[in-house]
Parts: sequence; C-alpha cells; structure tokens
Amino acid sequence: MYQYNEFDRNFVHQRVAHYRDQTERYLQGDLSEDEFLQLRLRNGLYVQRLAPMLRVAIPYGTLSSQQLSALASISRDFDRGYGHLSTRQNMQFNWPALEDVPDILQALADVNMHAIQTSGSCIRNVTTDQFAGAAADETIDPRPFCELLRQWSTSHPEFEWLPRKFKIAVTGAAYDRAAIGVHDIGMRISGSSDHPDEAVVDIYAGGGLGRTPVLGALIRKSLPIRHLLTYTEAIMRVYNRYGRRDNKYKARIKILVRALTAEGFKTQVDEEWAAIDQEQGAVPLSELRRLSAFFAPPTFTELDDAHALLGDQRLENPAFNRWMKHNVSPHRAKGYAVVTLSTKTVGTPPGDVSAEQMDAVAAWASEFGFGEIRIAHEQNFVLPHIPQRKLHELWQQAQSMGLGHCNAGLISDMICCPGGDYCSLANAKSLPVAEAIQRRFADYDFQHDLGELDLNISGCMNACGHHHVGHIGILGVDKKGQEFYQISLGGHAGHSGEGPRLGQIIGPSVPRAEVCDVIEKVLQVFLGLRFESETFLSCFNRIGIQPFKESIYAKAA
Amino acid sequence: MPRLLKQLGGEWQVCEATQANYLALPDWHPGEALEVGVDAEPTPTWLEASSIAVDFPAMTDGRGLSLAVLLRKRLGYTGELVARGNVHEDIVHFLARCGFDTIELANEARLDTALKWVNPHTGYYQCSVISDESALTRAS
Repeated sequence: MYQYNEFDRNFVHQRVAHYRDQTERYLQGDLSEDEFLQLRLRNGLYVQRLAPMLRVAIPYGTLSSQQLSALASISRDFDRGYGHLSTRQNMQFNWPALEDVPDILQALADVNMHAIQTSGSCIRNVTTDQFAGAAADETIDPRPFCELLRQWSTSHPEFEWLPRKFKIAVTGAAYDRAAIGVHDIGMRISGSSDHPDEAVVDIYAGGGLGRTPVLGALIRKSLPIRHLLTYTEAIMRVYNRYGRRDNKYKARIKILVRALTAEGFKTQVDEEWAAIDQEQGAVPLSELRRLSAFFAPPTFTELDDAHALLGDQRLENPAFNRWMKHNVSPHRAKGYAVVTLSTKTVGTPPGDVSAEQMDAVAAWASEFGFGEIRIAHEQNFVLPHIPQRKLHELWQQAQSMGLGHCNAGLISDMICCPGGDYCSLANAKSLPVAEAIQRRFADYDFQHDLGELDLNISGCMNACGHHHVGHIGILGVDKKGQEFYQISLGGHAGHSGEGPRLGQIIGPSVPRAEVCDVIEKVLQVFLGLRFESETFLSCFNRIGIQPFKESIYAKAA
Repeated sequence: MPRLLKQLGGEWQVCEATQANYLALPDWHPGEALEVGVDAEPTPTWLEASSIAVDFPAMTDGRGLSLAVLLRKRLGYTGELVARGNVHEDIVHFLARCGFDTIELANEARLDTALKWVNPHTGYYQCSVISDESALTRAS
C-alpha cells in the first residue's frame, strides 16, 4: 500500500485547518449557504434529506486494517455506529453533525485519510479493480498509476472548478472490474509491474451513466506511461474551457465529446497536448518505480494449493462450498485466494456495515491477510490475500458477523444507491425495492440456479446505482408525484472482456408493488429459454429483449 | 479607494487599487489595460497590454484559471494579471498558483481572510505556473 510521507501528512492536516476555519466562518454567518456549499462539497460534505452526509475517500478502494478500525471508531464517535460502502469504493457516514466534521476530518488525517474532492465539480477519487495486485488475470497493477493520479489531481490549481464532477477509472486486467467504459476518463494500462516505466495506456473519454448514458470513446491508444499526466492535463483543459456550464444536465464531458464527435474531441485534445511541454511534464521514471515499490506484493509464504483440504471441507459443508464457489476468486500466488465478504442480506441496505463488522474485517485482514482491505464498487469488502488453508476459518468467523453470505455475483448481491430514503436528488426510494427483491428471491438454491446476475438499482437518473449496466437494471422515476420503476435488461459493465453495454428498457415503468412480479416474470422467461447452465446475460444475448417484453406486457396488449 | 490583494516582491499584501481604465475587446488597443471574459481566446497581441484583468462570472467558473495558465505559460505574458468579478476569498490560492498576481474580491470586507488563506499549504502536489516543485520532484 502507499505510505504517506511527511509531505502527505502535512497536506491533509493543513487542509483540515482550512476547512475548520471555513466551517467556523459559516457557523458565524460570515459565509452564505451557497458559498459554504462549494467549500464543504470539496471536503466530502453533502446536506441530505435528513442530515448531512460525509463521504470519505478510500483511494482506489484500498485501505489498511488500522484505517478501517479508525472508520469504525468515527462511526461510533460521530455517527450512529455504521457506515455505507459506496459504488465508487468510498465510505459514507449518514448522520454526522455539520459542526463535528472538522473533527472527523482530523481523525481521518491522523490515519492518513481524507474526504478531499469526494464531491463537487472536480476530479473525484480515482477508482480501480478491487482485486488489483491479487487477480490472476491482471497484467499490471493499476494502483501505482491511481496513486499518481490521486496526487496530481489533489487540489490541482487549474482543475478544481470544472463544469461538473469528473470520474476517472483505471484497470490493468483483462476482465474489467473497474467499468472504465462508463467513466469520464477510462484508462486501460498494459505492461508488466516489474517494469512500470515501460507500460502503455489506452485512454477512453466521454463515458458516463446518469440521464444520458454513453460509452467512452477510445481517444488515445498505447500512450507511453510517462505522458499520462500531460495527456490527462490536455483532456482536462479542453473540458474545463469548453464543457457546458449553462445547464448542469449537459455539463459532463460526455456531452462535449458528443457535440464535437469523438474524432473532433480527440483532435482538440491532441492539439492541446502538442502545445504542452511534454518533457517538463513527463512523469519521472524513477518516480514511477518509487510509487510502484509501495504496491509490491506482500511477502507470500510459499504455500501449495490446498486442493485436498478445501475439497474435504467443501464436501462436508454445502454452505461453505457455495461460498467458495461465489465469494472466492483465484489469486496469482499459489496457495492464496481473494475473498469477497458480501454485505448483502435481507433487511440491511446494500453496502451498510456496522462498526462491529468494520472492526471484525480489520481484525481478519490483520490475522489472515497482510492487513489489507479493499472496497468493491459492488459495495462489498474484499480481502485480497488470504491463504487457502485459512478460508474455512475465515468463513466461519465471517458468518458469525453477518458477512459470510454466499451470494457474490448473484441476484441478491445487488448494487443499490441510498435512494429517496436519504438522498435529496432521488425521485424514488431504492432501498425498499432492494429489500423486497431480496425477500422474494431469498432462497439460495434458486439464486444459485439463476447463476451470475447483476441487478442494479438507482433511485434517480443520476444512476449512482449503475442501473444502466445491470443485467437487470431498475430506475426509480417520478410520475406525477408517484414512485414508479423503469426496468431494463441486458446491460453489463464490461466484465466479460468485451466493452460495456447499456441495458434496453423493456417497456412502461411500473409501481413499486409490481416490481418484484416483473422481475419474477423476467426470471421465468430466462429459466424457460436458457440452455443448460447458460448465464442470464448469454441467454439475453441469444434471445434478445422480445420474449421478455411479450411475457411482461402480454395482458396489457 | 477600493482595495485589493497584490503580490509585491513575492509577498501578498492588501493594497489600494490603482485606477487603470480597462477596456474590453474590440475597443482595446496595445498599450492599454485589457479586460476579458473567462471564455476569451488569448492571442499574442495581448502581450502588449499594460495589464490584463479576467472577469469571473461565478465563484465556481474555473475557465479563468485555464486562461491564466495559457497566458502565463503558452503566451509568456509576464505583466500584471488581475482576477475580478465573483472572486471568493477561499479560492485565492488556486488563482495565485495559476498566475494571477492581483486579486479583487467580490466582497472587499473579506480581504484579511483572503490574505490569511492565500497559501493554505506549505507545498502542493503539482508544479504550477509559480512553482517547478511537485510531490514527484520532491520525492525523487
């Protein structure tokens, strides 16, 4: 993991001091609501429907046991004893008091964390593959480059006041777990972690979800990594100068790319890049190597694969067997595995974790997994380096803490935004829908029979729940003051090695009471038409949307 | 007399404004003080301005920051560069690092706050118009 040096520590502490002064001036009436809004947003603080919400940055979803324990303490001391894992790998606190926020930020700074640029029209926390540095299919660890971008984008003098928020995602694996195609900038890095200075990067721009979902266009292929920051600077400058500021719904970079066409945008960026002093702005190769050293693999013990032991344990215990099948992924080091601890269970909003659970995960990471934890954009915890022979013990402990659900990648492992229960932007509630679906399809045998299925729910067009790229997507809409839900099928986030794809809407939206019935019909169509163990997505690719439409809207016709 | 923030001899100070007569394009001529909007496209003739002021329409409008960077780095403008309009005391450090050396606040009563926070950090992660030092160059 990256380790803060004195410079980093000073930086976050000085930032807290500035924000503390801003908060005091606001509370004294020296800053207006609108002025303070812009300042608090850039320090992660929203004011939501019921209370403020503080979004803490978990840079590229990586944190240490010590940091997670600190988050647990913060949730006890300043909130209601729980936190929420967001779809951008961050943690949100839903009930802080505005006047306590400087103290919370101080507590974060004490463990080398912050909430800088987690909201507002600026470059947000860079996200990546939650399995980075551990995944068997990875060619190069993206985290050193994410850290480079984190540093470069923090309080950037020129790019803090953009037309709209700006999200960058990076991957270094064949299987794109970072969904780079639906980000303002997506980066696919190729090369080898042994020679990070020789890496090259493909750059996509103009992707995004929200009310106008668009897939990013490839605007630069095989850019030498040393030019990463100058090329990003060129993109940001073109966007900062020419992105629309007259209408916030048309202000994302995707609208600019569409207006100029991908080719036109690329030409403009290339012209800008040509005018930048690329040598002066090049990333020093020594620096790339220095950053990469922080992310060197931990010292793995030489272990053999524990096939026989795990085989016996799986035979003895069907629940462990299912957990192994869905929540344990291959690790690049022999004898190790990557574990997903699912937060998804009936009665708990997806991504919500208690302080006790945070402490437990921190302790497991220390005991079994080199003190390292990841947050997945699917709102789960990941322990990236677990010895295979410890899996059974970890699973038992996870079960006792309500984190041993064997549903990673299944229908109940849904992505869901906080929706109308908390968020002031939402048109509809999303959490009750998630809960109803989890209840309806609670039977694990049924879920396992369905197989891999991404179900994503957003409470409004802003698409924080990534509904466009769910195999089944659910979007809350407002129809004359009533909450309705629009359902789409066949989207995916690019997991399977191909580019991502947006779902197709099946037809008119339905009231909340009917959502589960519609989902059930969709699943029945799938189960009726699937070949053997075909996944939902493969089946959809083969049969298209028509059979689903016919089944759902048959009576109305 | 209106007051503003000005960098003199490397130090930021609260000063009284000089009463230059700024002209907008197309009325401006070389030798005169020029006032432009944040969406202006800089041209080499601007180098002949006695002073350039950029008018910020809103606290949140970052176009003026890019314009300043282009003026300083691309055109090589070394004269006075003034930020005015909706300029907020808490973003002065961004303006300064993009090359503004004179700052008029929207609310002049807050000049002392602006001066206090003109440089909230002892160092920054990136190089800027006014510094070749970054977290990267420092570490290597």
